[in-house]
Amino acid sequence: MKKDIKNFKIQRLLKQHELYLFVVIVMYSLFITYLNPNFMSLENLFDLGKSSAVMGIMAIGVFVVLLSGGIDISFTAVAISGQYIAANFLIASGIDNIMLAFLISCSVGVVLGAINGFLISKFNIPTLIATLGTSSVFHGALLTIVGTKAINSAQLPDCFKAFGSFDVFTLTKPNGVYYGLSIFVIVFIIIAILTWLILKYTMLGRGIYAIGGDINSAIRSAFNIPKIQFFIYCYVGFLAGIAGVIHISLIRYGNPTYIVGDELSVIAAVVLGGTRITGGTGTIIGTIMGVAMITILNNSLILVGLSSYWHDLFVGLIIIISVSITSYQNKMSVGNIIFRR
Amino acid sequence: MPENSEKFLEVKNVSKSYVGVQALDKVSLSIHKGEIDCLVGENGSGKSTLIKIIAGVVQPDEGEIIINGKSFKKLHAIDSIREGIQVIYQDLSLFPNMTIAENISLNQMVERKRKIISWHEINDIAEKEISRINKELNLEEKVENISIANKQLVAICRALTQDAKLIIMDEPTTAIAKKEIDFLFSVITDLKKRGISTLFVSHKLSEVLKISEKVTVIRDGKLVGVYNTKDLNHDKLSFYMSGRKITNSAFNYQKEKLEPKKPLLEVKDLSKKGNFQDISFKVYSGEIIGITGILGSGRTELALALFGLNKPDSGNIYIDGKLANIKYPKDAIDLGLSYLPEDRLNQGLFIKKSIGNNIVVTVLKSLLSRFNLINNNNKYKSAKEWTEELNVLAPSLDTSAQSLSGGNQQRIVIAKWLATNPKIFILDGPTVGIDVASKSNIHHIIRNLANRGMGVIIISDEIQEILNNCNRLIVIKEGRMVKEMDTNEVSEDKLLEILSRKIV
Ligand SMILES: Nc1ncnc2c1ncn2[C@@H]1O[C@H](COP(=O)(O)OP(=O)(O)OP(=O)(O)O)[C@@H](O)[C@H]1O
Ligand SMILES: [Mg+2]
Repeated sequence: MKKDIKNFKIQRLLKQHELYLFVVIVMYSLFITYLNPNFMSLENLFDLGKSSAVMGIMAIGVFVVLLSGGIDISFTAVAISGQYIAANFLIASGIDNIMLAFLISCSVGVVLGAINGFLISKFNIPTLIATLGTSSVFHGALLTIVGTKAINSAQLPDCFKAFGSFDVFTLTKPNGVYYGLSIFVIVFIIIAILTWLILKYTMLGRGIYAIGGDINSAIRSAFNIPKIQFFIYCYVGFLAGIAGVIHISLIRYGNPTYIVGDELSVIAAVVLGGTRITGGTGTIIGTIMGVAMITILNNSLILVGLSSYWHDLFVGLIIIISVSITSYQNKMSVGNIIFRR
Repeated sequence: MPENSEKFLEVKNVSKSYVGVQALDKVSLSIHKGEIDCLVGENGSGKSTLIKIIAGVVQPDEGEIIINGKSFKKLHAIDSIREGIQVIYQDLSLFPNMTIAENISLNQMVERKRKIISWHEINDIAEKEISRINKELNLEEKVENISIANKQLVAICRALTQDAKLIIMDEPTTAIAKKEIDFLFSVITDLKKRGISTLFVSHKLSEVLKISEKVTVIRDGKLVGVYNTKDLNHDKLSFYMSGRKITNSAFNYQKEKLEPKKPLLEVKDLSKKGNFQDISFKVYSGEIIGITGILGSGRTELALALFGLNKPDSGNIYIDGKLANIKYPKDAIDLGLSYLPEDRLNQGLFIKKSIGNNIVVTVLKSLLSRFNLINNNNKYKSAKEWTEELNVLAPSLDTSAQSLSGGNQQRIVIAKWLATNPKIFILDGPTVGIDVASKSNIHHIIRNLANRGMGVIIISDEIQEILNNCNRLIVIKEGRMVKEMDTNEVSEDKLLEILSRKIV
């Protein structure tokens, strides 16, 4: 019996998508390091972490939605709305405080998310249609009501710049240049852990798995479906708000047409991480690895001197290959796909 | 009937209609504390609908529900659960993406309004319940990966863990083995002693007669009557259910008429490690072969192997005397094999698609018009033919398979495979969950197919079904063939004895 359980654990590990993704990431990283030893340097890794935070935070939001069997494509519009409104408010009011920026951006995020949540839980609109609609509405409203002017580096309040260059610790290279670990990475890690805790240890989190697994069963088990759905979309909005502020702090430039249009690559990262698009299955670790893979691809192509046009091609190939491996795995275990479903 | 004890549940004049069907028409039902009741009726008569209304997941158009003396105008799922009603649904309503442990324990956490989850507690609850049924299940396994029988056990365990006052079971025994059914019945009797009531739904009338004290019969959504079990027998009960007499006769293999020389199907020394070993048998045209053996004996695995879904390690399959190379179901279908799977809801239906589309999905090629498009007229004709032959109760061919009653869904799957007009038809549990009248109907159809020259294999636990409908039978135990004989050489008791005998 003991041995059985151990065997089972190993078997399950071998079935896990994450393991294969991890192997792919490690092999690819070794390959790139062979071409350009700089890739594996601590400095570059810190850099990778910093530049993946925006995508990572949004990906965690998308992960939660996919888990529940829904999809959200309005989160980029929400992120840019939060960012642009917060930045403009800080400029207009002259208050130079990053916490206020977060507060405004996240509030905008939660309010817009609540609109999604309301439409979906109250009127049972399919999530794709609802968020496709609100995505245009949110972005259109932002451009017509708040404005279309870009915020250049000179106009940008200092708090964003300070936040963007804040490192939690710094190291010195032999040639005297400093580098450090950005606060973005810490924010990302905290969000990942918080989300993991919610999903694993709260009834709300289990409810998200439940409705993603079988919504009818969830109704019969008396889960409060509208409440859970409402929470999910508010939470995505909240995370989008955070991502919005980090984004502008990173590039030190605000443009209300940025971010929107990236939603598919974020969703791709989550799916690459093993989350089933049909809901119910997926892990935070997988999601983080999916984001890591795509960020590494981006970064490495530049390091080895390939143009960024290659990026899309590579991302597509990696997704197809990694998802194929998992499906093949499933198929191998006795008639799994057809006969055990 | 314990007239003196209090009523726990009373349903008064409940009606419910769906588009095109009156599922329930002024039905009443009452259950006393500590009483074991059965609800019977043909497929589509409204049993599951009534149960869903009691569970608060479907709202009736009219009528009243009184639980524990409290009258509910609008009953929500959570009210029903809080009042102590637990339901094992016909489709089980489990969470495929969660582990066995969580499936068993989670509902209880919801009911207790837990905010935070303790995984210790989840495992403890599940472990305790599983150990009670003396079954080794890996609690960490996801439910999507377990067999239908184990799913049924998980659903039963889930209902038992909660402090229920009434447990409703909608056909809980279609897939589980005798040992587990016995366990379930002992639990039900125990519950009764503790004052807990049970409402049991089953098409296996022997079970109904064995366990219940009182039987409520419905037909076409209307109440037929409420009877004391001691006044009933098999024939009376099936008469109340269907409104007609059902007779059974034995199948007569027309060997002389068909004069088969070569076997249609020959299986030689087929083995797969851990599944089955050295299986050899032949099926001739016009024969109906029964394969029986307790659950987990490897019979389903064998059927899957014949159909290209479970690759054997060694051995050969011959069809019409030619060595067959069956790698995928498609190869099997091309060679004239069809397979009616055991777990029909998950394996046999596109639940959201229409009935018509479900039936013709196996024969799409034959429906193509000159332009390689699907000819709708042909489609309807083919689908209509089969729904009529199998008496499928549905408002139209365009309604989704989801809205059918459990038994009618089963028929759609049978229709879909019959439409392929196979030479060899393997049916795994052809009549589980099908009412007595339709059962004999389906048996009749199978015999006709055999008389027209088809070779049929029936896999079943139901001894009566095997003895009545097959000319030859094979007993499988722990993956090995222990007996092959003509059905007219063996009596029911003898077969039971062979089945329960330990192999040496
Ligand atoms: N959601 C629905 N939409 C439309 N029709 C429905 C729906 N649910 C049930 N029905 C119809 O109501 C009738 C009663 O169905 P019900 O499932 O209660 O039957 P049942 O007695 O449980 O049968 P079975 O023995 O086959 O399980 C059937 O005609 C069915 O097609
Ligand atoms: Mg039913």
